[in-house]
Amino acid sequence: MIDPRSAYIIRRERRWRLVSFCTILVLSAVIILAIEGMLASCVLAFVIAYLFSPIVDFLERRGLPRGTATFLPFLIGGLVLGVGLTLLLPLVSDQLGVLAERLPKYQADLAGLISSIEAKYNIYLKAGQLNLTEKFNAWIVDRTSSLSVALPAFVSQSFTVLLLSPFFAFFMLQDGNSVARSLLSFVPNHMFEIALNLRHQINDQLGGFIRARFLEAAIVGAVVWIGLQALDFPYATVLALFAGATNLIPYVGPITGAVPAVLIAMVSPEIAGQTTPALTLLLVTGIYFVAQLIDIIFVIPLVVAKIVDLHPVTVVVMIVAGAEVAGILGMMISVPVASAAKLTFNALYSHLTNFRD
Amino acid sequence: MNYIWENIFRRGGDKSISAVLRENILFRDLSDGELRFLERCVHVRHFHAGESVFRQGEVGVGMYIVVKGRIEIYVIDPSAASEESREIYITQLLNNDFFGELSLVEDNGRRTATAVAREESTLIGFFKPDLMEILSRRPAMGTRITLRIAEVLGRRLKETTEKVSDLRRALKDLRPPPEQDAT
Repeated sequence: MIDPRSAYIIRRERRWRLVSFCTILVLSAVIILAIEGMLASCVLAFVIAYLFSPIVDFLERRGLPRGTATFLPFLIGGLVLGVGLTLLLPLVSDQLGVLAERLPKYQADLAGLISSIEAKYNIYLKAGQLNLTEKFNAWIVDRTSSLSVALPAFVSQSFTVLLLSPFFAFFMLQDGNSVARSLLSFVPNHMFEIALNLRHQINDQLGGFIRARFLEAAIVGAVVWIGLQALDFPYATVLALFAGATNLIPYVGPITGAVPAVLIAMVSPEIAGQTTPALTLLLVTGIYFVAQLIDIIFVIPLVVAKIVDLHPVTVVVMIVAGAEVAGILGMMISVPVASAAKLTFNALYSHLTNFRD
Repeated sequence: MNYIWENIFRRGGDKSISAVLRENILFRDLSDGELRFLERCVHVRHFHAGESVFRQGEVGVGMYIVVKGRIEIYVIDPSAASEESREIYITQLLNNDFFGELSLVEDNGRRTATAVAREESTLIGFFKPDLMEILSRRPAMGTRITLRIAEVLGRRLKETTEKVSDLRRALKDLRPPPEQDAT
């Protein structure tokens, strides 16, 4: 039996350790949320760190010191990114330039298409009831003006994020374990093993999830690029990059990624001269469908199946909530955050109900 | 002697963390550099007198080495008649002793006994995530540790098997001989 004085000392120390641990976590969260661009920098830094960690571990296994093993992927990654951007930027900028030039024409064509559909269906409805053309034009004006306001802020913030995130990622890979160990040292003794195991599981699952999502995005982007190039479809590189990037958002992303190409195919049937407009539309839709099929049949069972599974409804709700809180970034990080939360809850619940008899 | 919980590899003396690790049978094959790396992987935990290190039935993820202090191992017998007789004392562990290493190789294995610090104690915790990290970053070092863990578990199993055989023999000797037919 434990004497009351010892029991009091143990209880007091446990309480203080828990309070200190939670205070550090809350303060870190407040700092990350309060400083502009810090959340995006940290998220991107985590993504870079998770993408590079197998390479860093591999190099360390080959006998390199941790510092060199961490520095090399950043050096090579920087060089590859530099060469890639040098090759890709002129192409993307040319295609974006042409797209910007033709955008008013696409807008007019799309408005025409909508008014023809409206005219066709107004027979069944009261005349002028839908006003789809007016609504579409108003939406376009609203989007364009909000984009022109948001773009400069986005570009300046992106610059900060792109500068900070590799810096953070380097130190996460170099000293992340020491920092995590220091933080874990505040956890009370009776919760230490579960906290350590939880951190390991979350780390493992998030790493797998992020690497899988980027592999999926790369495969989808590549399939779309090859397909559109074969079809001689304009803006193939821009559209493939867009499809790859939006594919990072589960469920909603793949559909969003296909929308620009499908719309362009609908309003400009002349782009593939030798085929009929309907066949062009069918082929473009088919390319995106095949890309998703490859993703679903080969990539997801191999690499994504291991991650903690969430119900599709939960995923959609989390994406919507993420979009409300932090826009596109929120949409991308909502699912891994929800997975980590589910894992933490399950582990704590089992600990409280089963582990302690 | 309890072959599962008793330290069959015991050596005496108060030592620093690095010295305790160096002396431990699990890490005896490691070089100085590897021991320095190991020191950065393990967790030093302090326990007050009366504080439990772990309880029977909890999921365990690793082992502890006693740097300083005294740890008592108990098994809880739920079928015992009184509260006092529920705790069955197994053994006490002193400096350099280690316990809980089975959890390093088990998948969500539960602790089979309760460990309680009987005085202010300092323990080194070495857990499965730490072993996984070593295996991922330094596979040769991780393999040497894993082989030593297997050796320790093998020796404990062998000692326990011998003890069970001895007990069975003793039990057989205690039984009365079968009665002869008087016809």
